[in-house]
Amino acid sequence: MIMGKVLYYTLVDLARNRSVVAFAALVLAVSEGLFLVEADPVKALLSLVQVMLALVPLVSLILTVVYTYDTHEFTQLLAVQPIGRRAILGGRMGAMALALLVALLFGLGLPLTVHAPGTTSLVLLVAVVLLAWVHTALGTLIALLHRDKARGVGIALATWAGFVLVYDALLMALLFAFSDRPIEPLVLPIAALNPIDLARIAIMIRVDLAAMMGYSGAVYQHMLGSAPGIAVALTLMFAWIAWPTLVAFRVFRRKDL
Amino acid sequence: MDSIIFSGVGKRYRSLWALRDVDATFRRGEVVMVIGPNGSGKTTLIKCLLGLVRPTTGSIQVEGQVIGPDPGYRRSIGSMPQLSQFPPSLTIGQLLEMMRDVRGLTPASADDGLVEELGLAHQLDKRLGALSGGTRQKVSAVLAFRSRPRILVMDEPTAGLDPVSARTVLDRAAALRSEGGTVLITSHLLEEVEALADRIAYLQEGTLRFLLPLNDVLQRSGTDRLALALPKLLADPV
Repeated sequence: MIMGKVLYYTLVDLARNRSVVAFAALVLAVSEGLFLVEADPVKALLSLVQVMLALVPLVSLILTVVYTYDTHEFTQLLAVQPIGRRAILGGRMGAMALALLVALLFGLGLPLTVHAPGTTSLVLLVAVVLLAWVHTALGTLIALLHRDKARGVGIALATWAGFVLVYDALLMALLFAFSDRPIEPLVLPIAALNPIDLARIAIMIRVDLAAMMGYSGAVYQHMLGSAPGIAVALTLMFAWIAWPTLVAFRVFRRKDL
Repeated sequence: MDSIIFSGVGKRYRSLWALRDVDATFRRGEVVMVIGPNGSGKTTLIKCLLGLVRPTTGSIQVEGQVIGPDPGYRRSIGSMPQLSQFPPSLTIGQLLEMMRDVRGLTPASADDGLVEELGLAHQLDKRLGALSGGTRQKVSAVLAFRSRPRILVMDEPTAGLDPVSARTVLDRAAALRSEGGTVLITSHLLEEVEALADRIAYLQEGTLRFLLPLNDVLQRSGTDRLALALPKLLADPV
């Protein structure tokens, strides 16, 4: 009840927040632009996947971290009311997740429905929304763990870079180092360490384009099959939402504000 | 009758003790001014009471209830923070509505008198992000008094307020005292302190140096002004 009220009013604030509106407009512009310049919708979709898998985590993470820092005094104001901290954090995280959902439905969902309706687009939309929620949870946790805004934003950027750049490099190095041994069983848990890779796997299994699937995607499809592969990848993404959320609640419950 | 009891309250941030072993009792129907130099622990003391900060040592009782995880004790507390920042995109009206909902008040049970008295009635549609610091303080004052609290905690309440609004807010605090409420105020403005305080709590480096009636402080130092009394009293500890 109280959590719903905190969520509602935070959402009202976020609805007028220029950053969220700008994010929705940017995603819309990129999506529309790619469908306009590429005549083949499948090719446009593949380009869109690459862009969204980098853009959405980055923006979700930075938006959440900055909003959490910028509204610290308001969090304090809520925390001195006769309401529990769980309701405060739940309401605020829920509002951020909903705001990003609406921004993505508008910016990405609309062009996908118009230009490439179908299951692949649906998987892309679901994977990207889950990715946004994963990074909302991670961003909240980062902001709660670090008092200094510049440090928090820096760690958020490093986290994003780790998922997008460093992880791939490490995976390639691992594959190269152990190329003479059967490491397929290891790839499943290793891929689970990167939510962006999980989203890419879920989408690429659906597209069934070997060249774009990557090694981990191919292993998922080979070991689990198409539909179960997508299901496992998406389920693991829920785990990526759950663990930072649970830790964030634990940290916030004891945090000095 | 005791309203708030601090028993051995200490707060450590890493290696720094912001508060050390504070024992203090605040009664109903009194205004206590918490004063001290910058960094003396005033805000930490207030944050401990409000549940924003968990004491490292000791405990705090509010109206007989030891502060713990249950936030219910804050129903009787109104607070006005030092610097008020609100969600910039909400309007004053939306914020008031939100806080009324969050505190479980109804339009009838909420005390909105200060909205009119502080000249906010015609500004309810203004976005909080567009307000001056002084107007934000007025909004903060409205929120503090709105639930008709029995305990009022104000951290530098008149900072940024024009003299008339500052007077209105302090008069309200005085009225709450006469209704049996407990008012805790931190301030650097000693004239303000002298005009309103029943007792003075002086903090220095996290330690409560004394908690005395204002008259005692003045008498012991042989002066009639707090600004002159404090150096004498601190040189010759109570």
